[in-house]
Amino acid sequence: MKKTPVDSTKDNRFELLRELLLAEDRDKFEALSKEVILREKLKNNVSPLVDEKILDLREKFPEYFGDTITQTIKVQIRDSQDEVVEALYPIMGKLVKKAIVSEITKLTESVNKTVKEKFSIQEILKRFIRGKKNDADIVLQEVFEPIIEEVFVIEKDSGLLSGSYSRGNIADKDMVSGMLTAIKSFAEDAFSKEGQDLEDIKFETFQLSIQNFKSIYIAIACSGVLNASFKEELSDRIHNLAEIILRDRSFLSEEERLNTLIVKELIEA
Amino acid sequence: MIAKKVLLVGNFGVGKTSLIRRFVLNEFSEDYISTIGVRVSKKVVSYQNETIKLMIWDVAGTNGDEKIPKAYFLGAHAAMFVFDLSREETYLTIDKNLKMVRDLSGLKDITIVGNKKDLLSATEIDNVIQKVSVDIDLITSAKEGDYVEDAFMKLTAQALK
Ligand SMILES: Nc1nc2c(ncn2[C@@H]2O[C@H](COP(=O)(O)OP(=O)(O)OP(=O)(O)O)[C@@H](O)[C@H]2O)c(=O)[nH]1
Ligand SMILES: [Mg+2]
Repeated sequence: MKKTPVDSTKDNRFELLRELLLAEDRDKFEALSKEVILREKLKNNVSPLVDEKILDLREKFPEYFGDTITQTIKVQIRDSQDEVVEALYPIMGKLVKKAIVSEITKLTESVNKTVKEKFSIQEILKRFIRGKKNDADIVLQEVFEPIIEEVFVIEKDSGLLSGSYSRGNIADKDMVSGMLTAIKSFAEDAFSKEGQDLEDIKFETFQLSIQNFKSIYIAIACSGVLNASFKEELSDRIHNLAEIILRDRSFLSEEERLNTLIVKELIEA
Repeated sequence: MIAKKVLLVGNFGVGKTSLIRRFVLNEFSEDYISTIGVRVSKKVVSYQNETIKLMIWDVAGTNGDEKIPKAYFLGAHAAMFVFDLSREETYLTIDKNLKMVRDLSGLKDITIVGNKKDLLSATEIDNVIQKVSVDIDLITSAKEGDYVEDAFMKLTAQALK
């Protein structure tokens, strides 16, 4: 592959962009942490302490758990299952989701490389989750399961939103579509060779995949560990969806109808 | 609801962001403008019994050489060119600048706005109007909120044409 020379100002601007994107992510993370703290009925004044723990955990996750996890995967987990569960239990849920997901993804990638067929990620997960039905199980399940969080069908040039699906409550879909389109244009302009499109933006909590079609593009945010079969199936479904839309363009001006179609083709299918 | 993409363009520091700040409440940080050269805002407006969703693209002004992705101009339904009444260099080359915006966006009519009217006397403003080679649609002050709404309404009307 040919390498394009790196322009230092562009590079710097990209750094800034990354910081901006992550800043918003961090805000979300903080909001989440507050919510979870409430839910878990922790005392009010432990909140700064917990935040510190989370940060620490986020930074040192591989150090704390990396070995354990690598080990466990290597010896097919069985014995240390409880340890991992125990270690994760106190910090619960979404707070660690981010760190775990990125670590597990990294680990599975490298493990998959070396032990290709022997362990599928599903097998590993099954072993992880099998057994006791307690809160920790649910947490783990939640951590790994690949889930479609957001879908945006966007007009390529104008960045106007044609239709969408959202699992949670996203700030303002119109603005996100516009900014996403701008960021996409910026990145394509600055970093890609002619004719090459931006396809994946990795955020900390989720992965955003972009698929370009002639006059529209479809952006999908997923959380969890995206294994190959999930990705493949998703990609097929996206292509089906795009085909339906591009064959009947009235979908692009009828938001409600398109939203229903998205649910039917991507979420329920 | 109908949605329209509209652009705000013009030289560095003429007041584009200030005009938008007067007109909408924003969710995205203004830091995006200096980083990627644009920030998108949204405002729902009523115009002749219709409700329109305006997606406003605040494109960073440049002094010439810095590049802004051409894609920012694509698919726009209207554009506002803003200049600073108090700084000649922001309107002396208006013909050339307007041509560039027209070429990139494919738009014919562009709303022309002279901003910072609070810095000039009525006579001085008249002088500027004489000097500017194109018809000015509105004279505004983002600082005092004068005619800001009108400027965006004019832009909405363009977008609906
Ligand atoms: N007196 C006065 N100052 C204004 C007015 N509008 C903007 N300014 C000032 O002009 C400066 C530049 O305004 P911005 O809104 O940042 O200009 P901009 O066009 O967005 O500039 P770029 O993003 O750099 O292209 C700021 O210091 C504003 O406070 C106005 O109507 N009157
Ligand atoms: Mg600005």
